[in-house]
Amino acid sequence: MMEKPEKLIVDGKRLDGRSPDELRPLKIEAGVLKRADGSAYVEMGKNKVLAAVYGPRELHPRHLQQPDTAILRCRYNMAPFSVDERKRPGPDRRSVEISKVIREAFEPVVFTKLYPRSGIDVFIEVLQADAGTRTAGINAAAVALADAGVPMRDLVSAVAVGKVDDTIVLDLMKDEDNYGATDMPIAMLPRKKVITLLQMDGHFTPGEFERAIELAMKGCEQIYEVQKQALKAKYSTKPEEE
Amino acid sequence: MLYAQNREIVIPGQLIAEGSHSIYGGAFKEGNQIYSSVIGLMNVRGQDIRVVPLGGPYVPRQGDAVIGVVMDSHHSGWILDLNSPYVGNLFVSDLAGRKVDLDKEDINQFLSMGDVVMAEIRDVDERMRVLLDATGPGMGKIRGGKMVEISSAKVPRVIGKKGSMAMVLQSTSGCKIKVGQNGRIMVWGDDQRMVNAVVEALLMIEREAHTSGLTDRVEQFLEKMKSEGK
Repeated sequence: MMEKPEKLIVDGKRLDGRSPDELRPLKIEAGVLKRADGSAYVEMGKNKVLAAVYGPRELHPRHLQQPDTAILRCRYNMAPFSVDERKRPGPDRRSVEISKVIREAFEPVVFTKLYPRSGIDVFIEVLQADAGTRTAGINAAAVALADAGVPMRDLVSAVAVGKVDDTIVLDLMKDEDNYGATDMPIAMLPRKKVITLLQMDGHFTPGEFERAIELAMKGCEQIYEVQKQALKAKYSTKPEEE
Repeated sequence: MLYAQNREIVIPGQLIAEGSHSIYGGAFKEGNQIYSSVIGLMNVRGQDIRVVPLGGPYVPRQGDAVIGVVMDSHHSGWILDLNSPYVGNLFVSDLAGRKVDLDKEDINQFLSMGDVVMAEIRDVDERMRVLLDATGPGMGKIRGGKMVEISSAKVPRVIGKKGSMAMVLQSTSGCKIKVGQNGRIMVWGDDQRMVNAVVEALLMIEREAHTSGLTDRVEQFLEKMKSEGK
């Protein structure tokens, strides 16, 4: 663990050299898992997240089946080796909550009515964590769902904004999250700018909040472009010659 | 007004057109704007728009010919796996093509677990309960052959325009194929090597379904396999 630095922002630059409105390097790849119906791998700075989607498929246990709609199930899980101190494997309070909010972030975009009595399973595995894993997980899951051929109104893009040394910053990394004042992950539909997830740890004044949302929207737009490219790249590759 | 070219790859939520077009699947309307709902290929024909999906499960539709595998049986029929989120229900009389007296005849003589059946979907209700009918010509229990499973979204490619691809697959290899809309394909042939070549070709079609000039490549591949075998 790093000691708390005296200043998190020096001369308008953050600890990793980014400006306050800059995202971490982002890499998205679609269709990385052969056995899943859809999958995606996302690197957001030091975060490494894998998402897999199964379905729509016959839903078990059967008592969960809804006669008129598909249900969405989501599991966010952190690998024991994803953090500095070994994390006890298995679901805990935190990951159960994150699974729930991620599911709710996707429920408004998926056309569940097209697949009555079925289930769509989304698995998000955090391989390496560096603050903002739920947003990275959402970005991965959105691409994985599209890759699985699940009909959706839009993709979902997510990013965190926060307050560090009284500055509003985009896409917090670990030290900013740990020692900063506020952390606010946001997920939205990039086309209609509808927010489907918003959580906040810390305080914002109303003015700061507005600026933070604005910054997050800009961030999501950039992420959306990368998601789009990742999906198109999977199918634009030329077939190998026999 | 179109915002995407014909045969362009579109993604969910992408604005593809505006105005009074008719939508035939893979897209939805919000006000006057039309958006794609799946990742797929844009398909425009006059005023008709459709996005042909590149993936996704098979959803049973009335009139489709499908290949099912017997999963379970009940007192008057069988439950068939259709490579889909939904199972199919086949009654004895819809397989035998006559009235079957359940008190006098044992239905196990018709089908057993794991058997493969070609059937037509007679009806799908709003709860997606599927009723099958295997009395038509070419339908019923399938004997022998090799089964290949591909994504159901790629089935139109296996058949080709007016059956061109299916024709090439059969005439070049000397094998016989039967295609189910649910992505299951049966291959029969005397030459085991050519049967395997057809299987390879089918998997190749699945991999490269979104590219053009595929029929020619499949033909070349099969010709090559044929000449190597001699």
